[in-house]
Order: sequence, then C-alpha cells, then structure tokens
Amino acid sequence: MRAALFLPLAFLLAACGAAPRVEFADASITLPDDPGDLPEGPGRDSVIENCTACHSPSTMLQQPKISREKWEATVKKMVTLYKAPVDEKAVPQIVDYLLAAQAGEGDVSRETPR
Amino acid sequence: MSDGKFTRRALVAGAGTAALAVPAAGKLAGGMIDLGLPGGPSLRPTTPDFPGKRDMIVQRIRPPLLETPMDAFREGVITPNDRHFVRWNWSMPTEVRAGQHRVAVGGAVRKPVSLTLEEIAAAGEHVSIVAVNQCAGNGRGLSEPRVTGTQWGNGAMSCAKWTGVRLGDVLAKAGLADSAKRVRFAGLDVPLTDGAPQFIKSIPLDVALREDVLVAWAMNDEALPILHGFPLRIVVPGWFSTYWVKMLATIEVLTGEDESHYVAETYRWPTAPVKPGDKDFPTVPIEAMPPRSFITSHADGDTVARGRPLTLEGFAFGGDVGLAKVELVGAGEGGGWTAACQLGPDEHGPYAFRRWSVTLPHVTGDLAEIGSRATNTKGLSQPDALVWNPSGYARNVIERITLRAQ
Ligand code: HEC
Repeated sequence: MRAALFLPLAFLLAACGAAPRVEFADASITLPDDPGDLPEGPGRDSVIENCTACHSPSTMLQQPKISREKWEATVKKMVTLYKAPVDEKAVPQIVDYLLAAQAGEGDVSRETPR
Repeated sequence: MSDGKFTRRALVAGAGTAALAVPAAGKLAGGMIDLGLPGGPSLRPTTPDFPGKRDMIVQRIRPPLLETPMDAFREGVITPNDRHFVRWNWSMPTEVRAGQHRVAVGGAVRKPVSLTLEEIAAAGEHVSIVAVNQCAGNGRGLSEPRVTGTQWGNGAMSCAKWTGVRLGDVLAKAGLADSAKRVRFAGLDVPLTDGAPQFIKSIPLDVALREDVLVAWAMNDEALPILHGFPLRIVVPGWFSTYWVKMLATIEVLTGEDESHYVAETYRWPTAPVKPGDKDFPTVPIEAMPPRSFITSHADGDTVARGRPLTLEGFAFGGDVGLAKVELVGAGEGGGWTAACQLGPDEHGPYAFRRWSVTLPHVTGDLAEIGSRATNTKGLSQPDALVWNPSGYARNVIERITLRAQ
C-alpha cells in the first residue's frame, strides 16, 4: 500500500528580504499494515497475544541466538520496564516458542515473503 | 492478562492488546537483503511501501525501523529524504495538525510559553546545517559477540541538510532561569502503556546553547516528513540521533541531572572496556560520535584485475569534528600497510559525509581484509578492533572487505 500523503510546505520569501517566512501545512501518512507473521509452532498464540501489541514480531525474530535465561530476562524487562500486560502463566510457552524459532532458520523475512 | 493497562490512545490507534493484536494484512512489496550479521538471522525484507520512501530495509514495521541500504551511499554526500533511515522507539502519530501544534517551553525558565509553529519560525535567524544523523546502535547486528536490541547493519545513518532556528533563540522566548543546567525534549510519541517511560532526552545547557543546535522544520529543503519528526525535530550536529527528538512538543529546562529512563538507564556505555558478562561497571551517556568510514566502490568478495591499477572509493565522517584524513589499511593489527586517500571537497562542513578515493598503482594479488580508517581533527582514529559493549553502541571499528585478484 502506498498511501503517502505529504502536503509540502512552502518556503515563501518575504518581499522585503527579511527572514524567509515558513508555512506549515497539516501532514498525515498511512503506514503499511503489519502482517505480523510468526512461524507456526507451539506457543505461537501466546506470543501473538502477549508480545505483539507494542511491536512487530521481527523485534523478537531478528535477535541473535540467546539463552533461555536471556529470553526470560527480556520478557521480565518488557513487564517491569515497559509495563507489558503479560500473562505470567504464558511465559514458559513464550520462551519455548522463541527458543524453537531461533533453532530454525529464524528468518526475519517472514514478515514479507513474496 | 496481568494488570498492565493500555492507554486510550493505544486503543484508539488500534494497536491494542490481545483481542486487537495483529490484524491479518497484506504483504509488503519488495525483495530481500542479506546484512551479513554473524550467526544470523541476517536476511531482511526491503520495500518501497513506506510513505515517502524508496527501497528501505525493514527492521521492523511497527513502530517503524527502516535501514538505509548501503547502495544509497555510493554517490554524493547528501542522503535523499526517501532513503534516510527511520527509527521510532514507541508507536508514532501518523497525523499532525500544524495549526494546533504547540511547543511548550517550561521548567527552569522565567516565563513558560507555548509556541505555535509560526512563533518558532520567527524566534530567530534561519540556519541551515548539513549533519550526519546516526543511531547510537548503528551496526549493532555486526557486534561479535552478538548483543540484543535492534539488529542494524551499518545503514542506521544518513546525512541531510537541516533548516530551522537555533534552540537558544527558542529558549530565549521563555528566558532561562539562573538555575538552568540541562534542556530536555519530548515529542508527540508516547508509550502505549501507563507507567512506561516516555522517550524523552536531555542535553547539557552548554550544548543546547551551541550556535549549531537547531529546532529544525526542514530536511533537504523539504518539510520534515512525518517519519522524520514533522513538524519539528531537534538537531545536535556531531551527537548521536537519540538526542534529535522528533515531533518536538515540549522543551523542559532542568536544574540538575536527568533521572529519566532514556538518559539515566539506557543509551549509556561503559567508561572503560568491559567483557561479555561483566556487571555493575560505571557508564556514561553515549553522546558525541566517533569517526567512521566506508568503502562504497567494492563489496566483500568482489574480484579485481591483477596487474592493473585499482581505484577504491567511499565516504567518511569525523563525528563531532571534521575529518583530518582517511587511509586505506591492509590486514592485521596496525594495518601492515597504509595508503593515503584523497579527500573529496569539504562542501558542507565538519558534520557532513565527505567522499574519499585512492588508486593503488598495481594489484599484485588478493587484497585480504582491507579497510578504510578515518581520523578526525581531534586525532581520534577508527580502531582495529571492535570496542565491544553490551548494548552495541557507537560501532566505529575499521570495516574490512576482501577483494580477489583475477
Ligand atoms: C507494552 C509494550 C510492549 C510489549 C507488550 C512487549 N514489548 Fe518488547 N519492547 C517494547 C519496547 C518499547 C521495546 C524497545 C523498542 C525499541 O527500542 O525500539 C521492546 C523491545 C523488545 C526486544 C528487543 C530487545 C530489547 O531488549 O530491547 C525484544 C526481544 C522484545 N521486546 C521482546 C518482547 C517479548 C518476547 C514480548 C512478550 C512477552 C514483548 N516484547 C512485549 C515494548 C513492549
């Protein structure tokens, strides 16, 4: 979807040669939809429910291979720092899923294969 | 669901929680690129589907993280707006009404004011400056050992001409109190959850009052695109872009240190070298950029003609001061051999990209692990080895390629 709508701003030179006047127009854009693709696997629904409200799945999928402890710490950081509403009971599933996703090809391309 | 709450804006924007998450949606157009990240995952989509953009590398759709492909740096020194990298920490507004936008200037000031865009534009002389805008985490994905965070290749940097008024002139509209120590900025982008830290950043007063620190509304003579912070963004030439707050809405003068998350707890790096696993070391905010340089005429693994002269080209920047020199260096600690490069014209001042080239008279064999090394006018050179740090900030190790002679 290419829905760019930039209303260009005009730089009008004031007749008297004083500081140029700047005109500001409203601006709006439409961002591409996020397909939110995540590889199939146990725990996928938990990841979608708990981990994709604030950012696309590529945030998780692009990470280098990290340990279970590091994934657990990352989930904890989401909860304590960013106040992510994460279901505590789902955390083991989420971590299992992310570890399994990394064991595969872990291709971030899943957001946009064509 | 635990007790985290999404704010109204998040719900209105449809970014919401479980029930609202991840609408089924179409795929982006475009291809794939391999960023060469050690150990992977290294493939990323490229797409022209973001508004106002040509092909960009997609690190993340939401909030947008778009990396500039290195081929955009092959010619010239100004990165066109449609190739300029994009970085948002939290979800960004997609609509801004110019007439309703205000910039509140408050805190340690004589008289708090709320300024319209016209009042900002009339606050002082209009100034243009060409400066490199570079993410503190540029090249993080190339760190070895790898570290978590956005896995950028080297394209989270761009160079543009910025136009606006001096921040000092805007501050003068409110008048600084004697107790003023730092100046903090906030934009229209806010967290999706109650209690999460807003992306606000501050700089010391002496930096804020520099002649070249701007409140900018134009980028390469066009209105700032929304993706780059329409209607106004802070420009701090020579400093990493984390301080270049976008969609500027609040300027707050502080009387002491800034205890907020994005200054006190992150965007910091160790004061002395650390190893993976080290804990509890002192850190300082990541501020001024060190020098960097890149070869753009050839890629790793390219073949070159044996027995012939070879011209290599690229670009460099000095960081927070201008460039003194760029050299081509051979393999190994200290380089083994060096060849002085010819610097292109200093068209745009100390904070801009500058091109370089060098001709080797006679290629006798493979050129293994060659790289370019920039030195700035403070005498700071790019290091042979990565200065590893746990957040992958401020990469400026010599980037190396191998060319095969045939
Ligand atoms: C309340 C919003 C929110 C939710 C929900 C959330 N995150 Fe995050 N996450 C963030 C923010 C903000 C960042 C930093 C983004 C940036 O720097 O651009 C982040 C970054 C990350 C990163 C990058 C590495 C890092 O440490 O910054 C990973 C990995 C990550 N999140 C994983 C997760 C996982 C797994 C979940 C689900 C358990 C989750 N997130 C849920 C807000 C959230």
